[in-house]
Amino acid sequence: MSYSETLEQALIVVRQQAVLMQRCIQQRKLMDALKHASMMLTELRKPDLSPKQYYELYIMIFDSLSLLSSYLTDNHPKLHHLADLYELVQYAGNVVPRLYLMITVGTSYLKCADSPREEILKDMIEMCRGVQNPMRGLFLRYYLSQRTKQLLPENAIEFNANFVITNFIEMNKLWVRLQHQGPLREREQRTKERKELQILIGSQLVRLSQIVDDNLVIYRDNILPVILEQVVQCRDVVSQEYLLDIVCQVFPDEFHLSTLDSLLESTLHMHPDVSINKNVLTLIDRLNGYIDRKEQEQETAQVDSDLFKVFWNYLKTLNEERPDLSLQQFVPLIESIMALSLRWYPDNLSNLNALYGFTAQKCKDYGKAIPQSAEYLFVNLLILQNFEYVKRSAALFYNIISQCESFRELLSLQNVPLQKSIINTILDTLLSTSTENGDVLVIDSKTNLENLLSVMEPLIRFRVTATTRRPSNSALGLSDDPTEDEEGNGSWVLDPSQEKLAKFCHLAVRSLPKESKQYRNVENQVEYLLLLKNWYYKGGKNIKYTYPAIITNFWKLIRKSHLLKSRQKLTKETENNYSNMIKQLFKYASRCINDLFNVCGSSVIDTVYKLNIQSASLADQLSLGEIAYDFFSQAFTVFEESLSDLNTQFQALVYMMQSLQKTRSLYQENYYDSLIVRCTLHGSRLLRKQDQCRAVYLCSHLWWATEIAVIGEEEGTTTDFYREGKRVLECLQRSLRVADSTMDNIQSCQLMIEILNRCLYYFIHGDEHDTHVSVKYINGLIELIKTNLKSLKLEEQVSEQQQSATRLQDLHIDDQDTTELPSRKKFVMGLDGTYIEIPRTNGTPASISNKLNSVYINEMIHIPLEHFDRTCEYIVNQREIDDRFKVIVV
Amino acid sequence: MSLFFKSPLDIEVLLDGEESRKHVEVPNNTASDTKALRDRLPLYEDGESISGIVTLRVKEGKRVEHLGVKVSVIGSIDMIRTHGNGNGGSSKRLTNSSSGLSDARKNSVEQFLCFSYDLCPAGELQHSQSYNFMFKDLAKRHESYRGKNVDVSYYVKVTVIRKAADITKLKKFWVYLYNNVSLPPTSVVNQRQIENGEENGLVRNEPKPVKLDIGIENCLHIEFEYSKSQYSLKEVIVGRIYFLLTRLKIKHMELSLIARESSGLQPSNYLIDSTVIRYEIMDGSPVKGDTIPIRLFLGGYELTPDMSCNYFNIKNYLSLVIIDEDGRRYFKQSEIVLYRSR
Repeated sequence: MSYSETLEQALIVVRQQAVLMQRCIQQRKLMDALKHASMMLTELRKPDLSPKQYYELYIMIFDSLSLLSSYLTDNHPKLHHLADLYELVQYAGNVVPRLYLMITVGTSYLKCADSPREEILKDMIEMCRGVQNPMRGLFLRYYLSQRTKQLLPENAIEFNANFVITNFIEMNKLWVRLQHQGPLREREQRTKERKELQILIGSQLVRLSQIVDDNLVIYRDNILPVILEQVVQCRDVVSQEYLLDIVCQVFPDEFHLSTLDSLLESTLHMHPDVSINKNVLTLIDRLNGYIDRKEQEQETAQVDSDLFKVFWNYLKTLNEERPDLSLQQFVPLIESIMALSLRWYPDNLSNLNALYGFTAQKCKDYGKAIPQSAEYLFVNLLILQNFEYVKRSAALFYNIISQCESFRELLSLQNVPLQKSIINTILDTLLSTSTENGDVLVIDSKTNLENLLSVMEPLIRFRVTATTRRPSNSALGLSDDPTEDEEGNGSWVLDPSQEKLAKFCHLAVRSLPKESKQYRNVENQVEYLLLLKNWYYKGGKNIKYTYPAIITNFWKLIRKSHLLKSRQKLTKETENNYSNMIKQLFKYASRCINDLFNVCGSSVIDTVYKLNIQSASLADQLSLGEIAYDFFSQAFTVFEESLSDLNTQFQALVYMMQSLQKTRSLYQENYYDSLIVRCTLHGSRLLRKQDQCRAVYLCSHLWWATEIAVIGEEEGTTTDFYREGKRVLECLQRSLRVADSTMDNIQSCQLMIEILNRCLYYFIHGDEHDTHVSVKYINGLIELIKTNLKSLKLEEQVSEQQQSATRLQDLHIDDQDTTELPSRKKFVMGLDGTYIEIPRTNGTPASISNKLNSVYINEMIHIPLEHFDRTCEYIVNQREIDDRFKVIVV
Repeated sequence: MSLFFKSPLDIEVLLDGEESRKHVEVPNNTASDTKALRDRLPLYEDGESISGIVTLRVKEGKRVEHLGVKVSVIGSIDMIRTHGNGNGGSSKRLTNSSSGLSDARKNSVEQFLCFSYDLCPAGELQHSQSYNFMFKDLAKRHESYRGKNVDVSYYVKVTVIRKAADITKLKKFWVYLYNNVSLPPTSVVNQRQIENGEENGLVRNEPKPVKLDIGIENCLHIEFEYSKSQYSLKEVIVGRIYFLLTRLKIKHMELSLIARESSGLQPSNYLIDSTVIRYEIMDGSPVKGDTIPIRLFLGGYELTPDMSCNYFNIKNYLSLVIIDEDGRRYFKQSEIVLYRSR
């Protein structure tokens, strides 16, 4: 009998024959029914079908044969004897249809109580050897397995297990053989087909697990060894990978626990191309899942042996026996074992240490640079990112870093960008989790802090290579360091990782274990901070990002010490200790600032300047005048030697002034006097006249201290304010002179109005004889301004619109559009002489510029005019509450 | 002749108990190969008496004169050709053309059985008349056979002798010879074994399996094993094929049973092979170490037991055929003895 040409025809034949067979069954014509069944089955001989197509045929036939089977059973002794039929169907000439019929009849017979079950089963499985074609054989044996599913004898585990195992072994052989069918170039295709068929083989192992149920002894002694032997012997990659995976999946966890050794042992004998790690991963997933399930059932997972040790030994053996394994294969394996250790022995970090050490050794043995494609493997290992059940808390990383020396070793073997990214992740974790409540990171010793820092060393040392390098100008650069240009002069490209280091500095100082003695606590913090400082110093120019944080922490400690010191009930000794500590801390801060200046040079001048002033302010607030003076003088040195930018100079001076004005501790030794004189001097020596003018009139405040409520000063009550009205007036006069000599009329007027405002301030805040700012002086100033403004107005131009509007009116053309003039832009002047355009709509930012196009001359003229108007308005308004203002002539 | 002249006399031969007797269906060689046409013949065995009634019916209103009526039982060996064409060696295979030949083409080469006696003396028949006949304990040397070139046939022949052409009627029957003891080749073996060992009964009960080593160097090496060398026609051939080496891409493997009819006088005899059973035992290509089971039920097939006489012999061969993916066939034949048992 021959099969159809095409799949379509085959399907038609199967359908037709199935119908005919059913009809014969209904008419109880068994022989005819068998004939049709046989014709139907002939289609299963058809070669060249894909697994899917063959399955399509198979499934149709399977259903039809089920009908036949139940008919055979139902009518067993009455109409026929199944033993006879079992012989009869064996006359079928072709082996495939014959075996399907045999199995159909045989399994029908199994359903009858009187049948010799074991003999039939043995016979069927033996005869199945007749089909050696992989696909047809696989389906035939699958058919056998499906048909016998419910019919294996009861209470005969061993027999049944043997039956299924035999079938499994033969199926696997056929499956492997499929790989070698057909031409070599279709190998890929074959592999794909095999994967489509794998479920057939896998189903046998599932059957086996159902049969074995919970009989561990049989599994361990009789079943697993046979399966593993088969898996090892077939020497086929696809098969080995799949079957081992299935074994791990279908049998219970308890089984795996007691057969770990043999399972692992078998992987050592796999085909070299088998990715062992996948199998081990599956196994470990199972074991980890086991502990999860046990926890859900509120039981504890009991294991006799140390699982980690089992895997660890396995890893070592594997390393010895399979030196050919690549890093890509090895590292995931290590990762899986790490997963196991973290799940089963979360507190035993020495396991991790061993694994890290092992990996590091592997890296070293590898010899070459680690290929880019393998980098992620190490990242996985180092930041534990694939373990869903591991809470990657700060504490975990802290513990790993402090307890696993090999962690650092492995990290250091990676390339720098990779190290950087790993450290970044770790830092993120450290920083983020520490902000959560209840999860406080404690860095319990200096050594451990040092460990952490040594891990971060690559990040500390890491250089941002500026992508856009400005041509360096050594003439401007103050540093003689030839590497200066690498970072560019003051390129403040903010490196987020440096920011993290800075944050870490705060974290570290916060996270040290609490001591009972406060003094000891502070001492420890200082030690930590100095350690951080020393480590960060290795970062070279990076300290410009990190040192401010350290300095700030010194300040914090200074304040804290000061607070602790001022507590009551301190022994004299402790108080002294605190005092010394504070002095020492200022020295450290100063050292930091100097380091910052020495290392980073001109790019951080501004910062250095401000840090000095802030330190000075702090010292002043603690009434440490000597120290404050020293910092102020440092700031002046920086200003004099290094601050060259015009705008910055002015701003720096303003900053200095406001800090100085608030100091209270510098009056002895004439420190204050010399400092403010110096400050005023610098102000008067600024390059631009307008800057000079403004700086000097601002300096007038240095001789006119005002109340600071927090330290208990109060205007009117406190009598010892540092005030020298004469000096104030001198400053104002000097600045007026400068204003007058300014060539720019508008600036000149503006400056005068500003001076007028200053005068009004002193007028309000002091008596005439104290401040020496008299009504006469003010009135004179107003006169002067008025005169100047008058001449300024002459400069005003008739705007074009107005001109054209007048012309249009002359021509009696009434144009609606042009009658409404577009509202003019409006400007005011900032305190540093910049022009600020007032935005028309709310919310839009004001635009600021140093110079204005002379197109806007009219608008510029309006600045002092309006300012003056406002000032006058103020004076008039003040008359209502202060009678003195009435004598001021507006 | 009978086509042209209507016979004045009908002869009917009725064997005793024919209705209840077991019959054998034999393919009718005279018609072309359509299976529908089969002769149903009553079955006799060796030594069985054969008896019956002969009825002579005269056409109404006619008289038939005769010189006596005779009944005979005849066993004969018939052949189409007794000699080879001479070109191409002593043994010749007949081409397929011979298969469609009618019985009439076969000529009797030997009547190994011929008994006859008169049923009635010469006279005139006016009415229908019946006569009993009986051949007691008739020995039958050969089993009935209907082959390509050779037939062994048995029949009862009634002859009405006349001055003109005799009127005859043949009644065919079929003969099986049951044999519990095997035929010559094995009897030799048995004798030898009897000489060698004392437990001859045991030898007979447990025949030795036959093992054949078959191979093509560096290409195929198999072991072909079956349970024994002699089978009764109802038995099952059980065996296995063990693949020691296979580099062939095998498509499938068949086991067939070939009946070889060798006829004519030595040395120029005709060999005609006919494949009686074709039985696929393997699909696909096995690998080294695979064992393929063989189980072939003989009972369901029409087989001929081995036979041998001066004019022809029938031998059976088990043939293993391997067909590779390129359609090449590799085969190995091995003789087995088939015998009829009860």
